[in-house]
Amino acid sequence: MSAVISTTDLCRFFGDEDETLVKAVDHVSIEIERGEFTAIVGPSGSGKTTLLHLIGGLDNPTSGSVDLSGTNIAEMTGTALSDFRRDHIGFIFQAYNLIPVFSAEENIEYIMLLQGVDPAERKHRVSEMLAQVGLEGLGDRRPNKLSGGQQQRVAIARAMVSHPEIILADEPTANLDSKTGIALLDLMKELNEKHNMTFVFSTHDEKIMRRASRLIHMMDGMIELDERK
Amino acid sequence: MLLFKLAFRNIFRQRRRSLLTAMSLIGGYVLCVFSFSMSEGSYNNAITFFTQDHTGHIQIHKEDYLLRPKIHKTIEAPEELSAMLDANEEIASHTLRIFAPSIAYSDTDNTPAQVIGVDLDRERTTSTLAAKISEGSYINSEIDGEGYYSAMIGAGIANNLNIGLGDELILISQGADGSIANDIYMVGAIVGDRDSGDRATVFLPLATAQEFLSMYDAVHEVSILLEDDGRARAEAEALQELLPDLSVDPWQVVEATFYQSMQTDKQGNAVFMGIIIFIVFVGVMNTVLMSVLERTREFGVLKAIGSRPAKLTLLITLETTVLALISVLIGLLLATPLILWFTYAGFALPEPIDVGGVLMSHMTGELSLFVFGTPLLLVLGFAIVISIPAGIRAALNSPTEAMRSH
Repeated sequence: MSAVISTTDLCRFFGDEDETLVKAVDHVSIEIERGEFTAIVGPSGSGKTTLLHLIGGLDNPTSGSVDLSGTNIAEMTGTALSDFRRDHIGFIFQAYNLIPVFSAEENIEYIMLLQGVDPAERKHRVSEMLAQVGLEGLGDRRPNKLSGGQQQRVAIARAMVSHPEIILADEPTANLDSKTGIALLDLMKELNEKHNMTFVFSTHDEKIMRRASRLIHMMDGMIELDERK
Repeated sequence: MLLFKLAFRNIFRQRRRSLLTAMSLIGGYVLCVFSFSMSEGSYNNAITFFTQDHTGHIQIHKEDYLLRPKIHKTIEAPEELSAMLDANEEIASHTLRIFAPSIAYSDTDNTPAQVIGVDLDRERTTSTLAAKISEGSYINSEIDGEGYYSAMIGAGIANNLNIGLGDELILISQGADGSIANDIYMVGAIVGDRDSGDRATVFLPLATAQEFLSMYDAVHEVSILLEDDGRARAEAEALQELLPDLSVDPWQVVEATFYQSMQTDKQGNAVFMGIIIFIVFVGVMNTVLMSVLERTREFGVLKAIGSRPAKLTLLITLETTVLALISVLIGLLLATPLILWFTYAGFALPEPIDVGGVLMSHMTGELSLFVFGTPLLLVLGFAIVISIPAGIRAALNSPTEAMRSH
C-alpha cells in the first residue's frame, strides 16, 4: 500500500525561543496508508488538533514536511493551498461549523460550487450524500433546525461530497452524546470502507478510539505509541 | 448564484443593523439626488433664462469685441453669414444686433440709454424680447404716417423720461463715422419693468439703428440658438473654423462670470456631497467591519474547506454592494416622486435668490439621468471601496486562527 499522508520531522512551535516556547507538534514523522481509519488520541493539549491542522494545510509548520499523495503542502501558500484543500481534503470539525444561513443541502453543495461542478451534478451528488448520511428529507433545513448529530452528519456529507482522498476530523464526536457519537463513528467507518477514503480523526474518547483500525498516541506534541489493530 | 445567495442571506442575519445601515444609505442617496437636482435645476433654469433672454447659445462678433466693444468693430456683409447659418441644421434660429451707448431725451428729461438695433423678425424667434413687452405691441420696421420709426423702450427709461406709448423719444449718440447721431422716434412699446435687465435699453429696428449710427449694413453681434443646447462648445468650434476672421464663442465664454461662479458653486456642492457620503460611509464601514469580525470563525471554515482568499473578499464586497444596491433602489423609489414634484411644480422662494447673477424667484429641480445616476454610482462605488479592506482582512486570516475565535 502507498502512503497518502506522510510527515517528516514535522514541528509546530508557538512563542519565542525562551520560556514561552510551546512545542505543540515536535518532530512528528508518520505515514498513513490509503483507506486507513486512523485515530490520533491523547489528552487535551497533546497536539492532536495542531497535527491535524498541519496535515490539512490549515496551519504552517515551523519545520518539517507534509506530503499528501506526493505533494509537499508545507511549501504551498495562498490560492494553490486553498485549491489543494478543496480538491484533496475533507474537514469535519468538533463544532460542526456549518454555514448558518445555508440549508443542509446548500452547505453540502457549496464546496462543489467552488470546484466548478455543474448544477445538475451538484444536485445529484447532494441527494446521494444526504441519503448516505441518513438525512433524506431534511436537506432544506438550516443548521439551527437540526440536532447536533444531524449537523455533524451534514458536516460529514460536506467533507465527502467532493470525493477527497483524505478526510480529517477534529474530535468529531466531542459535542455529541456517546450513543450519537458511536453511531456517527460507525457511519464514518462504513463510508471509509465503502469509498476507500483515508480517515484521520482525533479523539480522547475510549469508546470511539476502539473503532479505529490504527491508533496514534500523542503526548506533549510527540508520538508516544503507534499501534495497528 | 450560491455565493450571491450567501451574500444576500448574510445581509438579513442582523436585520436591525442592516436596516439602520440601509436607512443611512437611503438618506444619503435621497439627499444627494435632491441636492444635485436643486443645483442642476437652478443653474439650468438660469442658463435657459439668459440664453433665451438675450445671450443665445453662441455669439459671433468681430475679434475682441466682447472684451473691448467699440462701434467700429463690426461684422461686414452679415447677409452672407445669415444665409450660411440658416442652412445649418444644428441652428434653430439666429438674430443680428448692433449696440451703441446714447443719451435719451424727452421734452423735459434725459437719461443714459443703451441702443440695441435688432432684426425684428429674427429676434422674435431667437430671444424673449417680444414676450417681455409690458405695454404696447412688438414694433415693425415701417415708418409711420407722421414720419417716425418706432422704438421699444425699457421701463426705466419710460419712467426717467416720464414718457409712454405714442410719445416722442429723442436719441443722441456717436455714429460709426464719428458724426453726431440724433433722431426722433415714436415709443411703440415698453419692455419689462423697472427692475428688469432691459430697463435702460432702447430697441430699434435693425435698419433704423444702422442708419441712425451710420453703420450701413454692418452688425456687431450675431446671436444663435441651437437645436441642442448641450452642443454649444462643439458648434462654436465648428463655426469658428468656418469663420476664421470672426470670434465665435459659446455662452460659457460670453457669460464667463456666470459660468465661473456656477462651476465654483458646483465644486462646492460636490465637496458638500462628498462630506455627506463620507459620513454615511463611516457608519457603513463600521457595520461591514463588525459583520466581518463577528464571522471570523465562519470565514475560517470557508477558507478551510477550500474557498480561495479572493472569494472571501468577493463575498464581503458582494454583501455590501447588495445592501447598497437595495438601499439605492429604495432611495430611487422615494426620490422619484420628490424630484418629479420638484421639477414640474417646484416652490416659490420667499425672497429671490441670486443664481450666478440671475435672480430666481421660483426654484425647480432637474430630472435627469445625471441627477439619479451620479449619486447611485457614488454610493455603489463607495460601498465597493470600503468593503475591500474588510474583505482583505477576512481573506488574509489564517483558517486556524480564525476558527479559534468565537
